[in-house]
Parts: sequence; structure tokens; C-alpha cells
Amino acid sequence: MTLNLCVLTPNRIVWDSEVKEIILSTNSGQIGVLPNHAPIATAVDIGILRIRLLKDQWLTMALMGGFARINNNEITVLVNDAEKGSDIDPQEAQQTLEIAEANLNKAEGKRQTIEANLALRRARTRVEAINVIS
Amino acid sequence: MSCSNLTMLVSSKPSLSDPSNLSFRSVLNPFQLPTQNPASCTPSRSSSTQIQCGLRELRTRIESVKNTQKITEAMKLVAAAKVRRAQEAVVNGRPFSETLVEVLYNINEQLQTEDVDIPLTKVRPVKKVALVVITGDRGLCGGFNNAIIKKAEARIRELKELGLQFTVISVGKKGNSYFIRRPYIPVDKFLEGGTLPTAKEAQAIADDVFSLFVSEEVDKVELLYTKFVSLVKSDPVIHTLLPLSPKGEICDINGVCVDAAEDEFFRLTTKEGKLTVERDVVRTKTIDFSPILQFEQDPVQILDALLPLYLNSQVLRALQESLASELAARMSAMSNATDNAIELKKNLSIVYNRERQAKITGEILEIVAGANALQ
Repeated sequence: MTLNLCVLTPNRIVWDSEVKEIILSTNSGQIGVLPNHAPIATAVDIGILRIRLLKDQWLTMALMGGFARINNNEITVLVNDAEKGSDIDPQEAQQTLEIAEANLNKAEGKRQTIEANLALRRARTRVEAINVIS
Repeated sequence: MSCSNLTMLVSSKPSLSDPSNLSFRSVLNPFQLPTQNPASCTPSRSSSTQIQCGLRELRTRIESVKNTQKITEAMKLVAAAKVRRAQEAVVNGRPFSETLVEVLYNINEQLQTEDVDIPLTKVRPVKKVALVVITGDRGLCGGFNNAIIKKAEARIRELKELGLQFTVISVGKKGNSYFIRRPYIPVDKFLEGGTLPTAKEAQAIADDVFSLFVSEEVDKVELLYTKFVSLVKSDPVIHTLLPLSPKGEICDINGVCVDAAEDEFFRLTTKEGKLTVERDVVRTKTIDFSPILQFEQDPVQILDALLPLYLNSQVLRALQESLASELAARMSAMSNATDNAIELKKNLSIVYNRERQAKITGEILEIVAGANALQ
């Protein structure tokens, strides 16, 4: 018994194949999805999607917020942007994180602070996606 | 004989002037006019020198037109390749849009009985409108940029007549340079377009539009872009971006819904070496949701997460269509330019050959006259 996972961004299909299990960051915390999960619709936060493959390997993917639907063992995740952990350049991601932290310290005004916070969360997610759980 | 030469030269001028708007033609005229009179009156060595200058200029001109033709033909082929790539980008984005429309429709059905207040779908009395104007970055694409700018100007005039305030968000270098030169048009932001639209660019526009609308600085957001109809036809259109229709429908400024569930897309194919466009109407199938669907969060929160995705998707699609239209327009413009260059080259060659013939005839006459003098 397996799940069909489909991760879609406005530009492309990031993932479309069978998996054993996923762990998804939603607006109200992380949820694990195993086969025969109840039908559910949820908002997806900026965070990590962990995928357990058929061979029991784990993959990580950075998601940048969106929506997920689970129905009849089919998971559809719609996000603004998504990147596989293996596709992310560690040095570039680390630099982006440091830049985002510096920008947050410099931010003035409410709007800039909100934007800097979002950028920081995105950068941190990408850094976390690189570290694979063995 | 000299009279017939004169009439032929005179008749060749209109055909020469018609296809050519270049100022180089005026340089040719001083050489042509003096060469006729001396050749017909008295053949002399000074006239042969002038004819030689005329011939050399004509040859240079023909070479120049040949080079221009090569350049325009290359640009045409490059634009054709890019149109195909832009089309692929649209096709790649389709699963996301289809799934999004499907999900929005179903969730909205689930929420019919509940009174849901969502900021992006709130319809307010309109006092101020934001116009997102999408233009290209480069020229040489016919009237593409001018058409969308004229559309924006017309809409601005309408808003002024209605007594509404407005602001502009300009995307693309051509639009930016236009609005920079017109300080009387208020511009909220200038944004650069890229070579290929990406989700991040669409996100930047969507974020700006989102903050404008939610902070109630504007009451309506309209998107002006060029809709890709076919390789030879593009249509500047205005769509209402915000407020969103809860059912995920796109409405134009008159409130007529352009249902995204039914979507024509164009497939570029090669038939007998020529590019053609085949149209397919794709009807998105609506799968029924399970009635026992649970919402992890409050429905308002879920729609808050979904609608920005939808906004982003709409902006990205507009950017992609605009790019495809720009490339198709450039393809057409360069194709026309290539045809014009071919015709111009032909006309110049005819003139060149006539000049050469006249020169040879003059030389023969000199030889004959010399021979007669010896007798």
C-alpha cells in the first residue's frame, strides 16, 4: 500500500511518484501521512517536506508555502516554490541565510520587518533541507 | 536610345523609393542625376568617373541590404525557437493551474453554507484602481509594446472620466521608460522583466499587489497584458486581478467571466517545413471531493493560503502569455523585414545593372566616335 505524491509549483511538476510516507509542515504543525489517511485539506507553511521512498530512504524538500490535499491515497501539494534538498547548493544557501539575518537586523518599519522575517524563514528552510536524516 | 534610357531610369525611381525609408537614398540621388545629363549630351571622361562613383555606392548599398537581411532572418529564427520554449513554459504550468481551479471550486462548494470573510475576495466601493502594465524589454517586435501602452493610456483616460484615482505598476523596460518620461502618471513601482518569467518574478508582483489591496490603498487591481491568440494575432486585454472571485473565475473589467476551467492552448507544430498553430480546447475535469473531507485549519485560513497561490498563478500566466506574444510579434516583424530586404535587394540590383549597362554603352560610343575620327 503506497501513496501517490504530487508536488506542483506554478512553473513545473516537482514530484510525481509513489512514496511510502510523508511528513508535512502545515500551518498548525507537522503531520505524518501514511496510507489510508483520512481525506484532508490543509494549508502548508514554509517548511520541510520529508519523503520516505519505497526503498525506505528519506528525501527532504523545501516548500515555500501553499496548500495540500489528501484524498484516496493521493496527496496533491500546491506551493509557490519547491526545491529538492539535493538540488540546493549548500554554500549559496548558507550565504543567503546570513544575508537574510543581516537584513532582519537592519529592517526598519513594520513592512520591512515582515518581509525580512519571511526571507529569513525561506532561507532557513533551504538550509535545513540540505541536512538529510539518515 | 538615350531617350529610352532616361525613361527607364525615371520609372525605376518610384519602385526604389517605395520600399526604402532609409536616408541613404538621398545620398544616391546626387550621383544619379548628374550621370544622366552628361551621358545623354556629351560622352566624356568626367562622366565616366561619376558613373563609377554611382556604381560603387550602389554595390555598397546592395551589400548592406544583404547583411541586414541576414540579421533579420536570424532574429526571426531565434524568435521562433523562443516562442516554442515559451509555449513549453505555459504547458509546464498547466497542472498547477488546473489543480488549483479544481481545488478552489470544490472548497468553495464546501463552504457555501458558511459565511466566510476573506480579504482578497472582499468587494469594496472602488475609489482607487491599480493597473499592472506588462510590456517587453526590447523592441523590433512591431506594435507590441505600443499596443499595450495605448491600452493603458485609454484605461487611464476612462478612469479619469469616472473620477477615480489610479496608480500604475509597470513591468518591463519599455513600459518603464515610457512612464518615467511622463511624471503626471503616478507609478507605484517599476519592475524589471526577465528573459523567461519565473515564479519569483510573479511572486514579487503578486506580493506588491497583495499588500496594496489588503492595506486598502487601492480597491481594485487590473492586469493589462497581451494575450497570446496565435502566431499572427495578439490581443491586449484587461483582467480584474483583485478582488478575486471566490469560485476561482477570472473576470474582465466588464464583469464578464473568463472561465479558467476551459482553456485553449496552442501547440506549435511543423508542417512541411512551416510553423503552424493547432488549437486544442482542454476541459478541466472536476473530480468530486470526498464529503467527509476534513479541514486541518479553519476554512478561512485554508482559503488565505490558497488564494495567494491563485494570485501568483494568474500573474505568472499573464507574464508567460505576454512573452509569447512579444516573441510572436518579433517573429512577424523580422519576417516582414526580411521580405522587404529581399525586395529592396532585387530593386537595387536592377538599378545597378542598368547603370552598368549605360556605362558600357557610353564606352562603346566613345570607341566608335574615335574610330570615325580616324577615318
